[in-house]
Amino acid sequence: METLTTDVLIIGSGAAGLSAAVYAAQSNKDVLILDKGVIGRSGSSTGAVQIAGLGEWSDPGDHKQSYLNDINVSGRGLSDPQLTTRLAEDIEPRLKQLIDWGLKLDKDEHKQVAISHTSGHSVPRSLSAKKGKTGLGITHTLRKKATNSPHIQTWSDVITVDLIKASERVIGAVVFDLTTNKTYFIQSKAVVLTTGGIGQLFPITSNPVQATSDGFSLGLSVGARLIDMEQIQFYPVSIIAPQAIAGFCISFYHYAKLFNNKEQRFMEIYQPDTLEDSTRDKLSIAIASEIAKGNGTPNQAVWIDARDAIEQVKREFPHEYKVCNDRGVNLAIDRAEIGPAAHFMMGGIQINQEAATSVPGLYVAGETAGGLHGGNRLGNNALSECIVFGAIAGMNAVKEAERATILSVDPSLWKASSEYISHLFSATNGRVRPFQLKDEIQAIMGQHASVIRTTEGLETAEKQLKRVEHNLASIKITNTNVYSRELLDAIEVRHMLRTAKAIIKASLQRQESRGAHYIEDFPQQSETIQHTFINNKGGKLIARSQPVKGGPT
Amino acid sequence: MKKINVNITRTDNTVSTYQVDYHQGMTVLNILEQIYRHHDETIAYRYSCRTGLCTTCMMMINGKPDLSCQKTAELGKDGNLSLAPLPKGTTIQDLVKEQ
Ligand SMILES: Cc1cc2nc3c(=O)[nH]c(=O)nc-3n(C[C@H](O)[C@H](O)[C@H](O)COP(=O)(O)OP(=O)(O)OC[C@H]3O[C@@H](n4cnc5c(N)ncnc54)[C@H](O)[C@@H]3O)c2cc1C
Ligand code: FES
Repeated sequence: METLTTDVLIIGSGAAGLSAAVYAAQSNKDVLILDKGVIGRSGSSTGAVQIAGLGEWSDPGDHKQSYLNDINVSGRGLSDPQLTTRLAEDIEPRLKQLIDWGLKLDKDEHKQVAISHTSGHSVPRSLSAKKGKTGLGITHTLRKKATNSPHIQTWSDVITVDLIKASERVIGAVVFDLTTNKTYFIQSKAVVLTTGGIGQLFPITSNPVQATSDGFSLGLSVGARLIDMEQIQFYPVSIIAPQAIAGFCISFYHYAKLFNNKEQRFMEIYQPDTLEDSTRDKLSIAIASEIAKGNGTPNQAVWIDARDAIEQVKREFPHEYKVCNDRGVNLAIDRAEIGPAAHFMMGGIQINQEAATSVPGLYVAGETAGGLHGGNRLGNNALSECIVFGAIAGMNAVKEAERATILSVDPSLWKASSEYISHLFSATNGRVRPFQLKDEIQAIMGQHASVIRTTEGLETAEKQLKRVEHNLASIKITNTNVYSRELLDAIEVRHMLRTAKAIIKASLQRQESRGAHYIEDFPQQSETIQHTFINNKGGKLIARSQPVKGGPT
Repeated sequence: MKKINVNITRTDNTVSTYQVDYHQGMTVLNILEQIYRHHDETIAYRYSCRTGLCTTCMMMINGKPDLSCQKTAELGKDGNLSLAPLPKGTTIQDLVKEQ
């Protein structure tokens, strides 16, 4: 296997990875950023509509403390105060820097930076760029900066198979180049993981096809600790039918109305004060409960009616209006069928305020990191997290690289990875195609680990995932050309299985309902607030609980 | 079920033809997913967001560049749905360009 070297290796090129690269490159260290898709255009970052933040434009009643309070309240006691404080402190300088680098925030009719309200935030503080294509605006700005840097090398279409550890440190990664079918060991002084989320573990998701949870599995494999993996945010109002846009997120639900199949505006019962302008966890549970009660449409959805606010919808969310219209749903005339879709992993690899993990040499940022959002992420705080902690991870990875040296490494360290890749090339006589294994995982997670969970269901999921693991041994791959979707699916499904198991374990561990984790056997929130942790001990996943820092509040 | 005839220009410039199940409202990307799953596991195409934002799914559709995730599957003048890689740049495989 060919070995390449770099000072800092960044895996994943969404808003978090690109931020890490750009900040790391402010030193004179060599930075390599790679992605299994096209650099800067393959993550959830592309789809993000707005970003929450502070700046000279902020509402007079807005400041660090009120932002911090909102995040902590929303996190249902599970947000790590070190992380929330760092976010509130750093968001203003990071946004300012992006603006200096060319990001243009959208303006209102008075030519002032437009700030809008988002459910759960006590004051309007959501900003947008490129008319609601903020994620694209941010990744474009960062990508341009990265391509212009002499210290940054970018590499598209290369998937990370394994992280490699020596003497308790992460020292690099084994990657597979889909365009040449070559495997490489990339040795680096520090690694930053920014691989995004888990949406593809579920049958209906807002996430891009690349969101196959690879980072969580990579972290687990080198002994990093996962925190609160049961806390999965389902985006409550996503299109269910037509299938071509299933999972597409509707942002304007706070000024639309939701109806069940009995024509009841059911939020009047669940949240009479806020109605549809509620937080995502509560709204998802309400919608899923209505569907479970048989009050949904034949497609297992409820209706959204935006006709009374259609001018505002067209003005503020033209892209969403158009995508629905192009698929035959004209929101000016029709109601649309919506329901919860897997959207965001609030848990993840545990980091401290320096974006460092428990494993030396490994930094994590963005959606792959856990601990900031607790039990419910506030809308528009994911991009804020990416630009703040991406930058921190990049800068700290450089500091680590300054201290570390590249040592000669024994090739036996990547022997298992090499054998695994060879096995994929000789799996022509197998039984199950990789996409079928993905389908199996999605069906299991969709049925048992969605918005409403039960202990029995989770235990069933655990058993069914064991069956998938068994089937993985009989994988069938017949296309070994370059850019083989089968090889890509196969490498991804191995990561998916590992992360799915961690999610089920964490969900069984939390014997209460808190935040996005709603389990029918334990419908109440317990008095002590605990985190769930998942560790990998010799290939076996171990779950435990631990009270949050600072004790019960 | 209704079927449509899909012609795809491959890496070596040959054209592969598939008869694919069709229901109303399907996008070109939906058709490609059907082909990968049920007809030909070697077909190579690229996409990410499925919502018209990333533009990585761009290809020639009935002779015009378009986003396969947004474009409704329709027959061209010759009665087929014809797909080919974008003419500019290096082709990695089938419909996948270097980006
Ligand atoms: C439709 C949608 C709308 C959203 N709207 C908003 C919003 O309005 N505001 C907000 O704040 N947040 C929003 N979010 C959430 C937010 O966009 C994401 O949480 C955030 O962008 C994640 O960024 P990231 O950099 O961590 O990961 P991503 O942007 O997902 O990037 C991860 C990258 O890693 C790559 N990768 C993954 N695995 C591997 C591997 N094994 N090897 C190599 N590369 C790999 C992927 O290809 C991808 O390019 C939205 C999410 C979605 C899906
Ligand atoms: S898949 Fe992103 S634009 Fe089509």
